Amino acid sequence: MDEKKEDKKRFGSIKNAIKDFVYGMAAHDMVTYSLRTRMHMENLFMLIVMGDMLGIPVLPPYYSLRLLPHVVPHVKTWKRTLLRDRDVTDRMFGG
Amino acid sequence: MKYLLFAGKGGLGKTTLSATTARYLASKGKKVIVFSTDPQASLTDVFEYDLFGKGEVKLAQNLYALEIDADRVVADYQASVRKKIIDMYGEVPEEIEDYIKSASAQPAMSESATFDSMIELIMKGDYDYYIFDMMPHGHAIRFLSMASLLDTWINKVVDIRKDSSDVDERVKRISGKESGASEEKGMIDELMDIKNRLGFMAKIISARDTTALFYVVIPEQMAIMDTEIAIREFKKFGIELSGIIVNQVYPKELASDPNVPDFLKNRVKMQQGNMETIKKKFGDRIVAHVPMMDKEPKGLEMLEKTAYIVYGGTHE
Ligand SMILES: Nc1ncnc2c1ncn2[C@@H]1O[C@H](COP(=O)(O)OP(=O)(O)OP(=O)(O)O)[C@@H](O)[C@H]1O
Ligand SMILES: [Mg+2]
Repeated sequence: MDEKKEDKKRFGSIKNAIKDFVYGMAAHDMVTYSLRTRMHMENLFMLIVMGDMLGIPVLPPYYSLRLLPHVVPHVKTWKRTLLRDRDVTDRMFGG
Repeated sequence: MKYLLFAGKGGLGKTTLSATTARYLASKGKKVIVFSTDPQASLTDVFEYDLFGKGEVKLAQNLYALEIDADRVVADYQASVRKKIIDMYGEVPEEIEDYIKSASAQPAMSESATFDSMIELIMKGDYDYYIFDMMPHGHAIRFLSMASLLDTWINKVVDIRKDSSDVDERVKRISGKESGASEEKGMIDELMDIKNRLGFMAKIISARDTTALFYVVIPEQMAIMDTEIAIREFKKFGIELSGIIVNQVYPKELASDPNVPDFLKNRVKMQQGNMETIKKKFGDRIVAHVPMMDKEPKGLEMLEKTAYIVYGGTHE
């Protein structure tokens, strides 16, 4: 009886571990996916509000300046990503 | 009516009529401010009082005028952005500094600054009447359509930003980790503030019960043609004209006055012909005829006289 319980418990913890593992993978994928989405959104947002910096004026500079303080930490990464992403830049500049 | 806008081709009398109307309403006991959106501001000229960059200046009982120095407004704004960045991060990174400089140098910058000052003034709500002396023609159309275009646009930006926040939330829920963006609140607040201001202005510009847009025309062919085009253009942006004011009209008696030189007589006759055209084309949209004054309507006294002739004892 005790043994059976032990087995069940062990089995249960394995099952949990697997569940955790599988769930962990899914969650990891989801997080990765979300983060990627988030990054694209961030880039899009930056392009709209700060496009002017790369010579693509979208928002009047007056309003870009108002938003500028809040994007200061992102500017470097954003410019790098955008310029590295040949797909985007090619399409944009006909490169 | 609370907001009166005077638009029209250059040099036909926008500033003069803005000032005249302000003078009139102030004399009726209403607290009035005239604001010039034109960088070639000439309220100083018409009121014969140095207003440029002096803020809201009181000219007479109930009568105020504001002629902003757009360059200075831009410079102050630039300084405030720089200060904010320093407060937040301790310094202004070089590429950011370069951007601030280049953005401030764009011509669109002073136009936006003027527009924002206009919103600011209205939002403060200190006056019974706000009279806006618009810049000539095409500029005015672009200027006035700015609110509704930007309003639509900023709503989209806010949506994108909110979607981003949703994703942040999801990431946090699943992984227990922040995905960065601690400046998020400041950004959303800023966006919401811009959105509120533009939405407020867009509403005012299109509200025909509180806002009247007057177009100044003179009895000359070119001016008539320009006005027709402008009416169509304004309409494209959902801005309906409230009325047309025919300015600089020579009294027709001059044509039969023996003391009047021939060239002036001919001018009067030409004007009379064009007056017919104006009547045919604009009909009941004409709200006033303003005679050509024998002296340029400048200074408070002369403006008062003009106001008396234009408005008499009646209210527009
Ligand atoms: N009814 C009038 N009688 C006599 N002179 C007038 C009349 N209306 C305007 N003027 C004169 O015509 C000139 C142009 O007028 P005003 O400056 O008001 O035009 P505006 O439309 O504001 O011009 P701008 O586009 O350059 O700002 C001024 O010298 C003004 O004094
Ligand atoms: Mg003027």
